[in-house]
Amino acid sequence: MPEVLPQPGRLSSLWKRTRRIRERAVRTVWFCTAIVAVVAIFFILVFLVRNGYPIFAEVGVRAFLAGDTWNPTGTPPAYGILPLIAGTLLVTLGAMAIAVPLGIAVAVFIAELAPPRLRGVVKPAVELLAGIPSVVYGFFGLVILTDWIRISFEIPSGETWLAGSILLGIMALPTIVSVSEDAIAAVPRGYREGSLALGATHWQTIAGVVIPGALSGITAAIILGVGRAIGETMAVIMVVGNAAVIPEPLWNVLSPVRTLTGTLGIEMGEAAAGSTHYHALFGVAVVLLAITLAVNLIARYVLLRLGGPARRARRGHSGAAKPFARAVPGLLAAATGIPAAAVPLPGAARAGRRVSPKTRQKIAFWLMYASTGIVLLFLGVILFDIVSNGLPALSWEFLTAPPRDLGRAGGIGPAILGTIYLVGGAILFALPIGIGAAIYLHEYTRGGRVAGIIRAGADLLNGTPSIVFGLFGFAFLVLYLNLGVSLLAGLVTLGLMILPTIIRTTEEALASIPAGVREGSLALGATHWQTIWRVVLPPAVPGILTGTILSIGRAAGETAPILFTAVVFSRRLLPGSVMEPVMALPYHLFILATNVPGARENQYGTALVLLALVTAVYLVAIFVRSRYRSSARW
Amino acid sequence: MQDDDSILATEHLSLYYGDNQALRDISVRIPRNRVTALIGPSGCGKSTLLRCFNRLNDLIEGVRIEGRILFEGRDIRDPGCDVVELRKRIGMVFQKPNPFPSSIYDNVAYGPRVHGVRNRGALDAIVRVSLEAAALWDEVADRLHDSAMGLSGGQQQRLCIARTLAVGPGVILMDEPCSALDPIATSKIENLINDLKEHYTVVIVTHNMQQAARVSDFTGFMYLGRLIEFGPTARIFENPREELTNNYVTGRFG
Repeated sequence: MPEVLPQPGRLSSLWKRTRRIRERAVRTVWFCTAIVAVVAIFFILVFLVRNGYPIFAEVGVRAFLAGDTWNPTGTPPAYGILPLIAGTLLVTLGAMAIAVPLGIAVAVFIAELAPPRLRGVVKPAVELLAGIPSVVYGFFGLVILTDWIRISFEIPSGETWLAGSILLGIMALPTIVSVSEDAIAAVPRGYREGSLALGATHWQTIAGVVIPGALSGITAAIILGVGRAIGETMAVIMVVGNAAVIPEPLWNVLSPVRTLTGTLGIEMGEAAAGSTHYHALFGVAVVLLAITLAVNLIARYVLLRLGGPARRARRGHSGAAKPFARAVPGLLAAATGIPAAAVPLPGAARAGRRVSPKTRQKIAFWLMYASTGIVLLFLGVILFDIVSNGLPALSWEFLTAPPRDLGRAGGIGPAILGTIYLVGGAILFALPIGIGAAIYLHEYTRGGRVAGIIRAGADLLNGTPSIVFGLFGFAFLVLYLNLGVSLLAGLVTLGLMILPTIIRTTEEALASIPAGVREGSLALGATHWQTIWRVVLPPAVPGILTGTILSIGRAAGETAPILFTAVVFSRRLLPGSVMEPVMALPYHLFILATNVPGARENQYGTALVLLALVTAVYLVAIFVRSRYRSSARW
Repeated sequence: MQDDDSILATEHLSLYYGDNQALRDISVRIPRNRVTALIGPSGCGKSTLLRCFNRLNDLIEGVRIEGRILFEGRDIRDPGCDVVELRKRIGMVFQKPNPFPSSIYDNVAYGPRVHGVRNRGALDAIVRVSLEAAALWDEVADRLHDSAMGLSGGQQQRLCIARTLAVGPGVILMDEPCSALDPIATSKIENLINDLKEHYTVVIVTHNMQQAARVSDFTGFMYLGRLIEFGPTARIFENPREELTNNYVTGRFG
């Protein structure tokens, strides 16, 4: 035994004291950030509900929710939001009719069928769809999609429920694909092998064992897609016509509609603070919050209740046997050739019993390939349209000069800079608070009730439509705090919007570090903070970084939160202080597309620059993720 | 056994996970510089008892403890007891090897670094002797800066032991350190335990009775949260006083 080994000894008392003070100081800092985050989250919720309450008292709950006329500026004004609720539900329903079958088929394709190389192309392509800013979708919908609908159906205007549903369907696709694909990939290999070993075909295994095993994840994916569709504002405003009518008859997809979020986006700027109209808009926001809450709760219930094998296996519980028991009937069905209950495509289910399993597999796989092709086609068409029309507009002058002639000439320099200011400010504001709060919640509390409530609040705000943040920023920061339409108001609004995302992704990154690693460090006599700083945080950095970069991309592409808080359409000079308004790319594109005829070239140029900016940010995120993924694995 | 000989002890220790009592009135004295094995069927509380000694149970929610746990005569649950220093002086090796996702060198240097060793030369020396003491040096000397995640399971476990030694503990707690290892790796660890007892007090939890017989000087048999019998290993295995112990060591149940 070598004698040089460190001998047991006590730590000096000075060392111990400084260490204790440091521990306490660090803990206090994180505690403070957590408090700030919590106060912000609950203040927003309370503020919205408080300002929305008067409309329910004044007009009555039933008249507000079930009234069939929305005309707040008429005489007498009418505050019935039934047409808006109908519009939201119908557009969402239509979007899901497109996105659910396509999304699940593409997810199965990526997880089960695609050779690794092809997967490496299709997966990022779908993620790229998620990165396109909603105002760019809206622009594409306005210029191409509505035109196509107008001509194909020979109607006076293509701005319809159908246009909204197609567009939202495409926008919801990436959410459905990636969450479903995760769930499918997490089904343990043993299930597949068990089924294949019984002589089931690949398709029977997919339909009978894999998809049932991933059902909870797929259901959650659909619910999240619904949430995404309900919350969208700008793209919808640009293509649905915005007439507050209930389609006649109800299934008339060529009727214009108006959604809850669209109403906020259109009317927010015109309602006088404290008026009935103002409270009615907050009432709409409260309804949106309630819908978000319902969507969240259902998604959580589904995940917990059906609890996919993936989740259980990851938690390391012995419950792994249970989902297998559930998968057995499907396995038997697969083995005996009886069609299993859950077949994602109705066409495949109808193929009937007499067709041989091999033929059925062929048909099913063909449908998957076709679906994937369609989705890639969407992406290709959008990208080609924007890039081929946008490139001619690009020049040094366009990128640097201020706009002239209402944006028809000149450039978008101030808008690019304004966007960078807004996003940079939002990140500076939200990042320290978000990360600190997550560290406190995950590492210093033992998941008690308080942490649970904070997490629920963060989850709720995480799914809340961005326009609701815009409404809050406008009413509280711009009007009540009298910041005016300013860079400051805009970056705080954007920061508040991404705060819940940062908290949640940081928490997830921390949760992915196995408990054994923490115990290993503590067992060596490292302090709590030393353990966090040296052992827990380093491997969590890529996860935190990815979440942050995705937040940057989201903030850069968002229009709704800054619509009435920070931006002006035209400004020659850069802002001299944070109290002045700025230009921003998404807003510039929105106004150019909807209010300035004859600016087609600059519209495309702006769309291309915005798209390139946001895509670049996402590419960085993907790069960071793949770069670090290999380095830490347990 | 005299007081001077024991380094760790419990007095009427009971532990509850919520309503579930995991340890029942355990009084035991762990002799200094000896290897003590805790044996018993799964769920008998041996790991729980082990985790009491470095207060790692503190991390689990809803744990309630009654009685006293003594380290060198002082109650470690005393508010004045510094849990960080306690864990520095009582090291632990876990059932599943849990190296940090960093290099072999950084794994071993981690403990000294958090305890304030900055000098590169001193760190190098500690890393080397710790790895030598853990019988791993020869296998990793030329790749100290490779990731520890690339080592085999047995090597990872010896790395975790080296990591523990580098802090300079007086006691090493081992929680079924070989249960995830193959027989060859297991015998290496057992030889290592034999070497270690010259300088360290080792408490090892195992459900492999041959292992307990091979490596330990003293053995405690636990059953359903109680310490049924404690004594020199040879006596426990050859001439147990309790019927339950006899049934267990002769393989009649468990």
